[in-house]
Amino acid sequence: MSDRLYQPVRVLLTLTIALIIGGIIIELSGKDALNAYQVLFDSAFGSQVALANTLLAATPLIFTGLATVVAFRAGVFNVGVEGSLYVGGFAAAWIGFTFTSMPGWFLIPAMILAAAVVGGLWGVVPGYLKARLRIDEVVTTIMLNYVAILFTSYLVTGPFLLPGMSNAMSAEIAPQAQFTRIIPRSQWNAAFFLALLVFVGVTVLLNRSTLGYEIKALGSNPIFARWSGMHVGKIIIVVMFISGFIGGLAGAGQVMGVHYRFIANFSLGLGFSGIVVALLGRNTTVGTLLAALFFGALRNGGSTMEIFTRIPRDLIDILQALIIFFVAVELSLSWLRWRRERLDRSTEAVVET
Amino acid sequence: MAYLEMRGITRRFPGVLANDQVDLIVEQGEIHALVGENGAGKSTLMNVLYGMFPPDAGEILLDGELVQIPNPQAAIRLGIGMVHQHFQLVPSLTVAENVALGYEPRRGMFVDKRRMVDRVREISASFGLQVDPLARVADLSVGVQQRVEILKLLYREARLLIFDEPTAVLTPQESQELFQVMRRLVEQDRTAIFITHKLPEVKSVCRRGTVLRRGKMVGTFDVAETSAEEIAMLMVGRDVQRVKRVPRQVEDDPRLELINISADDERELPALREVSLTVHAGEILGIAGVEGNGQVELAEVLIGRRPPLAGRILLAGQEITELSGRQRRELGLAMIPEDRNRQGISREMSIWENVIANNYYRPPLAVRRLINVKAARGWAQQLITDFDIRTPSETIQVGKLSGGNAQKVIIARELAHEPLAIVAAQPTRGLDVGAARFVHEQLLTLRDAGVAVLLISADLDELMAMADSIAVLFEGRIQKVMVNEEVSREALGLLMAGKSAVG
Repeated sequence: MSDRLYQPVRVLLTLTIALIIGGIIIELSGKDALNAYQVLFDSAFGSQVALANTLLAATPLIFTGLATVVAFRAGVFNVGVEGSLYVGGFAAAWIGFTFTSMPGWFLIPAMILAAAVVGGLWGVVPGYLKARLRIDEVVTTIMLNYVAILFTSYLVTGPFLLPGMSNAMSAEIAPQAQFTRIIPRSQWNAAFFLALLVFVGVTVLLNRSTLGYEIKALGSNPIFARWSGMHVGKIIIVVMFISGFIGGLAGAGQVMGVHYRFIANFSLGLGFSGIVVALLGRNTTVGTLLAALFFGALRNGGSTMEIFTRIPRDLIDILQALIIFFVAVELSLSWLRWRRERLDRSTEAVVET
Repeated sequence: MAYLEMRGITRRFPGVLANDQVDLIVEQGEIHALVGENGAGKSTLMNVLYGMFPPDAGEILLDGELVQIPNPQAAIRLGIGMVHQHFQLVPSLTVAENVALGYEPRRGMFVDKRRMVDRVREISASFGLQVDPLARVADLSVGVQQRVEILKLLYREARLLIFDEPTAVLTPQESQELFQVMRRLVEQDRTAIFITHKLPEVKSVCRRGTVLRRGKMVGTFDVAETSAEEIAMLMVGRDVQRVKRVPRQVEDDPRLELINISADDERELPALREVSLTVHAGEILGIAGVEGNGQVELAEVLIGRRPPLAGRILLAGQEITELSGRQRRELGLAMIPEDRNRQGISREMSIWENVIANNYYRPPLAVRRLINVKAARGWAQQLITDFDIRTPSETIQVGKLSGGNAQKVIIARELAHEPLAIVAAQPTRGLDVGAARFVHEQLLTLRDAGVAVLLISADLDELMAMADSIAVLFEGRIQKVMVNEEVSREALGLLMAGKSAVG
């Protein structure tokens, strides 16, 4: 079977195994697994509102998943999308609650742009450190996540705390800057379409643009990229900017479409879930979009399932963990196979040269 | 009587029949040549013999007895040893420690050092392998390190020694010394299998040989009764002639000049010391030398991967010392890098993606930062035809091509833009005879079209056949630039070993 056909089959197999084991866990806890999955499915897709809520839950994951894909494709392991999401989200919120007299047609693009640029610059810091000083980006991006989370928390507990509130949150953004909700009884909003736009953009970028070509060359063989005359350092910095840029958009989407303000710690790991989404989506944009929708369905369905079946929504976390586990197992298996093939080849080459 | 008999060995890899009913008979006390092109299945056969992987079918008889060899440990117990091309030595340990590693003589809990050293000394004396058992391996030359590898096998009492292209890393003189050692081995009742593709070597040390082609045993030959041409024909299945270079007067038109270039290597030790070279239009300048004498750094400095500490580089009179790799390429410098799979191609990318690596960013392939995939694939199809790249389609991953075809991908990409000068670093390494010939023809065509070619090669035969002038690189210095027709192999060999030629 060709790789292109083979990959989705393997992903589906991985998901099936995770769902089966999740079902066994439900049965072991004395509840009806089939019923639980039935409820889960209905609450994710069963009605217009259910579907809208699934798309709502998927929206930030589309952003963070794509942000991760851009970096991973270049062989840059950006674990800092979460940080970009926070600083970008705050930038959007700040404009939204500071310039409240501005019209919506100005505020909305300004907030989106500010979030993206601030998120992008947040990514440039570790990008620059990697490109110029060869400092490992995994370490720096993880560290900078904490800086971003704690710094934005400080901002909304100190200088920008909503007067009269004890919870760490900012004032509400101007009404004309809030994304309107598309259907009643759901928070589903325009951020979803922004995410689709980014999906199209990233797909074109990776598959058609000269930068996308450079990203592929760098990701598949950095030495080759250098010997071909590419400015590898520059590409790394640009890639980190784009990755952070999309991460910032994720923050803007949550602030402008869901919370209407900046709340400390609001993300709860959306950036990290983006890594899972990207891995499940096999580092392709289409796969990532589908994986984000899948996780959106799980998250949305899980909340409703809890209400109707008394199965705690922690099950969703267990399912997610199982999926991560099996994706990791499956990836390392294919990695091992790839490595063995390579070893076979290199011993072949070594002996034959 | 046959010491080793391999019968009907078949070994399949996914998609490849690496060995197909191969028979190999090696007599007691002979040096048996195993020859064949790359991918002919020599390594597979020897790996089966050494227990690296079991055969799908076939049997092995050693000294008349049927044996099973599930792993290298078993092979060693049966007295089979292999001198790998990449030495498996611990540089920080002494010769004796390396030789005895894993099989140290013990006294109680401790290694009996004196007995170990004595034993190593004894073996080296009896086989004429001159090595100081107490020297640190890191301080030894490549040729001596190889002797340590051989000692290791003899220490483990190997009766059958497999030499895997042992001369690839040696100077001609070191090769001669190795052949002496091999003759001593068989005099003392050992048996050797000698894998090589250099037919003159076969002629000088072997009595008999076996030829593999495409996984099949195509014949055995008696060295005394078979000419090198006949063996070559068996190897490739057709008549192969060496390329013919017509000597000619080189024009006085300097295309690529290095002026007093000095550079460090990875470890920041001097790798190039005041190297000055001039390659003229229509000239092939060969750089000879044992590997590790600055060849890698020379190529890196030229293509802009390594900034020189001092000196200047000129391309057609224009200074390019400070220019980036891309700027140099745009001015007409092309490069066939030494490490094909790492520097020259991306194995995971398709052929069309690989051939556009030096022009993907400019028209007609790219317009406003978007790649015109149709144009790029058309371009690739053109190159596939022009350079005879054997592939079903331009969308095939380059990693799936043979070494020769992968090299053609690189050559197609580098030559397609009519360079002024080209640096070719070990361009035929690991290629079979046919593919090597293709590379040679291409380089000669370039030279005849007036391109300056700098050919860095560890293969003296290649340089003698191809180069108009030859310079020897030793410890980062250019020893001397000589006209090909006025220099002997022996003189070059001496220079490669760092001895200045007498007279």
